[in-house]
Amino acid sequence: MNEKFARWSTLFFLSLKRDWKKIVFWVLGLGLFSAGFVPAFEEITKGQGLAAMFETLQNPAMIAMVGPTPAQSASEYTLGAMYSHEMLLFCALCAMIISVLHVVGHTRKEEDLGLTELVRSFQIGRQANSLAAMMQVLFINIVLALFVSGVLMSFGADAITVEGSLLFGASVGIAGILGGAIALVLAQIMPASSGATGASLGIIGLLYIIRAGTDVSNVDLSMINPLGWTYLTYPFVENNWVPLIIALIFIIIMMILAFTLEGARDMGAGYLPEREGRSHAKRSLLSVRGLFTKINKGVIISWLIAFVIMGAAYGSIYGDMQTFLSSNEMMQQMFTHAGISIEESFTGTIMMVMIGLVSILPIVIVNKLFAEESRMHLGQIIATKVTRGQLYWTNIGLAIVAGVVGIVVSVIGLGGTAIASVGDKLTMGMADFFAAGFNFLPSVLFFTGLAALALGWAPKLGKLVYVYLTYSFLLNYFGNILDLPEWFSKTAIQSWIPPMPIEEFDAFIFITITVISIVLLIIGYLGYKRRDLLA
Amino acid sequence: MSEIVTIQGLQKNFGKLQALRDVNFTVNAGEVVGFIGPNGSGKSTTIRILLGIIKRDAGQAKIFGKDVWKDSLEIHKRISYVPGDVTLWGSLTGGEIIDLFLKLHGGGDKKKRDYLIKRFELDPKKKAKGYSKGNRQKVGLIAALSADSDLYIFDEPTSGLDPLMEAIFQEEVEKLKNAGKSILLSSHILSEVERLADKVVIIRQGEIVETGTLDELRHLTRSTVTLATEGDVTEIAAIDGVFDFQQKDNEATFSVDNQYLNDILARASKLGVKKFESVPPTLEDLFMRHYEG
Repeated sequence: MNEKFARWSTLFFLSLKRDWKKIVFWVLGLGLFSAGFVPAFEEITKGQGLAAMFETLQNPAMIAMVGPTPAQSASEYTLGAMYSHEMLLFCALCAMIISVLHVVGHTRKEEDLGLTELVRSFQIGRQANSLAAMMQVLFINIVLALFVSGVLMSFGADAITVEGSLLFGASVGIAGILGGAIALVLAQIMPASSGATGASLGIIGLLYIIRAGTDVSNVDLSMINPLGWTYLTYPFVENNWVPLIIALIFIIIMMILAFTLEGARDMGAGYLPEREGRSHAKRSLLSVRGLFTKINKGVIISWLIAFVIMGAAYGSIYGDMQTFLSSNEMMQQMFTHAGISIEESFTGTIMMVMIGLVSILPIVIVNKLFAEESRMHLGQIIATKVTRGQLYWTNIGLAIVAGVVGIVVSVIGLGGTAIASVGDKLTMGMADFFAAGFNFLPSVLFFTGLAALALGWAPKLGKLVYVYLTYSFLLNYFGNILDLPEWFSKTAIQSWIPPMPIEEFDAFIFITITVISIVLLIIGYLGYKRRDLLA
Repeated sequence: MSEIVTIQGLQKNFGKLQALRDVNFTVNAGEVVGFIGPNGSGKSTTIRILLGIIKRDAGQAKIFGKDVWKDSLEIHKRISYVPGDVTLWGSLTGGEIIDLFLKLHGGGDKKKRDYLIKRFELDPKKKAKGYSKGNRQKVGLIAALSADSDLYIFDEPTSGLDPLMEAIFQEEVEKLKNAGKSILLSSHILSEVERLADKVVIIRQGEIVETGTLDELRHLTRSTVTLATEGDVTEIAAIDGVFDFQQKDNEATFSVDNQYLNDILARASKLGVKKFESVPPTLEDLFMRHYEG
């Protein structure tokens, strides 16, 4: 025992020192995200809000996303019940994911990088590093749990009880430790660190999907799901500590398993063989387009999935829209316009928000070309018969296609779910949803153009486009409530476009913004053609 | 002989830093030119200008008689390039990347590719993120060597390769040389250039300080001579052009300006030569001489 873990505490303190900034960011960020929304939720509870939310969240689609509530009736559905119902599962997921990244980063990743080799040459036990990493995750998550509980209690709301707050915090903390333990096991099994991270996140994703099914069909089955041991504690309602005990036992078993597996393997080796890749490229890869598609594939697919889910989440509200909106003054102000049905009004506003988010994807892709450049990936390509124009326009083309597909899947997510949840009563058809979505296409092009302009002339400023996007997103989101002066809200590009179906389609503005975007793309190209590349 | 690469008065500034002040040299058809200089002397900057990756501030740079910036595309059809630090896409395998480079270059010799993969002992099925520095370098070299080009530009190509692989690289470059290809080989590994180069260009702080064939350069410098005689060797020390004279009994070691070699031989033969060894200056000596000023 001592031999294997000798001086783990040295490594433990060393990595705390090394990571302290990251840890502060982690605890504050995740902690405030988990506990800080109490005032916002209090806002929703005003009037008949709680009852309306209770009804809305009975919807199977919503249960599949956020989980069930033990509250039997709207009267049991307090502020605390709603808070834990809507927040706990997501916070637990986040805690798990961060811990997975941390554990793999400090164990298997360091082996891959050759750091472990150096460390092991000192008087340090063979498994000391893994123990230190696990202890670090344990420590951080305990601090996180206490912080979350503390913040929750600090709001002094009646329904946020002390016991519930402690349980909520503990559930988030346990979720983190659970994620760390799963990652530690997979770090032993998989052939490399990237595989360990991928497999851990994959398992968590799978557990989430499985629980979506069992939550809707039979909640008892979710209790055999490790993810279930976190959010099925029902803080503020049943305050059930038993799942946490099961989780603790599971964590201990996983840790014993991980350390046994690690003891029996060589450094740098896993139990699964490394999957062999292709010795020759597929034809689809053999072009600039093929290469760019391949290196952006992961990002594109994940964002598209996110867009569908986002669309579906908003779409599922349509069924209970009347109750939902009439219950809350803030929501009402955001989503109602005189003389228009509430569904249409909601569609117009939410499209502006959703298509704003869709704009992230083309910006990511355009910025990726500079990321490739700074990683010195382009030198050998530039030395072939590939032109700068080919690099630039292929990249821009991919970004625009991804943006268009992003709009399509968001619209299908929103419209499909809306039509499914309302049925024939809905006055809008799929075509109306598409029109509302593509109405905002120029704004997506505009953001693409801005990113392209940066790429051509000042690539380091590419990240600023995200700042402007966030700014205009917030302006759009809260603009309806805040009653801003016209010129101020017009600083967000989307505000120029009249949202359909609330207002009529404006061809002049549609074409003008599109043309401006194309001009931005061309100016960007002129810069890209002549500037020095990093390679 | 036709000029493949022509560089005249080339200048490049990065902000206030003068990376290249005055670079002049040529690479003729069928010639291997060694481009020597320490890190930061401007080798890679010169090569990047030649490839049209960065734009020159002044001077001329031509490949195949075409401007390297304006006609870069025409030029790139007939050149191959390997950087000193080959960086690859971690999610692709070595084999995929080689195929991609060949395709973007305009197709290469598949047989030669497979031969080189075997020769360099590269595992093409492994994802590039798992490759060591040397293996990444091999990917770049295999792609460049399998492509059929008229000019090959290697920027410190063997960094990270083990000596065995370095030797294979040199053999392959020799084959290109015998096939009449032109090669610009930048390096600070002197033995590598010494073996392959017809001509050496030495760059220092953005300026070319010496150009010539190895023989020409050696002529300018001193050989190291070890001489053992039957008579008293001491009198050799007095001859013009002898430096660093060191004597042990009747055996002496000294350096000599090559033009005085005849005088020394004449005098030594009178003393009765028991042993005479002359070592021509290595490139290392040349190099150090230029850098020590």
